[in-house]
Amino acid sequence: MKLLRAERGLSQAKLAELLDVSRQSVIAIETGKYDPSLPLAFKIARVFETSIEKIFEDTENASEAAE
Amino acid sequence: MAGQSVRLANKRYRRDFALTMVVYVVAVIGGAFFLKTFDTPPVWVSALVALASSIPVIFVFVLMGRLLRETDEYTRLRQTEVLLLAGGITLSLCVTWGFLEMAEIVPHITSFWAGPLFFFLMGMVQLGRSLVEKKEIET
Repeated sequence: MKLLRAERGLSQAKLAELLDVSRQSVIAIETGKYDPSLPLAFKIARVFETSIEKIFEDTENASEAAE
Repeated sequence: MAGQSVRLANKRYRRDFALTMVVYVVAVIGGAFFLKTFDTPPVWVSALVALASSIPVIFVFVLMGRLLRETDEYTRLRQTEVLLLAGGITLSLCVTWGFLEMAEIVPHITSFWAGPLFFFLMGMVQLGRSLVEKKEIET
């Protein structure tokens, strides 16, 4: 998400405003400290005009596949 | 610059919290002065003054509940964790102290102090968190 935000020249504060969340929420999602709910994930996808899968990795599935 | 509704919710909470604290201070100080006007205040007057001081404190929890409903999901999670941590530590200390008190090992402490302890712990937890998060915020 951080990459997509940088590509679009959005600050964390601006993205927070677009998503109607606090800046701390954006920071927590970007640093992987917080996984957004499905409605918020869809909202993020809408802002970046892409699909959820292109923004968020299925880390659990990826680690299982690696094993 | 957070989202519009989240920003409004936080603003509303801070404003109403400050107003509630003003009412609390007025009730405590005003109540103490009012009681001094009596040689021996009637029980109902003392009770009224005590309740007038506790109602703003109770109202703070109403405000916290409203903030939890109106804010974003991450803030809700964080606030809930803070409340649980502060509430858990406060109640654990109170229960432990209570048992020690019943065993006549420690002196009696009025239950009033549970409130200030809870709010102090909430503040400490939030302060600790914000210090950690400050390092993570991009410059």
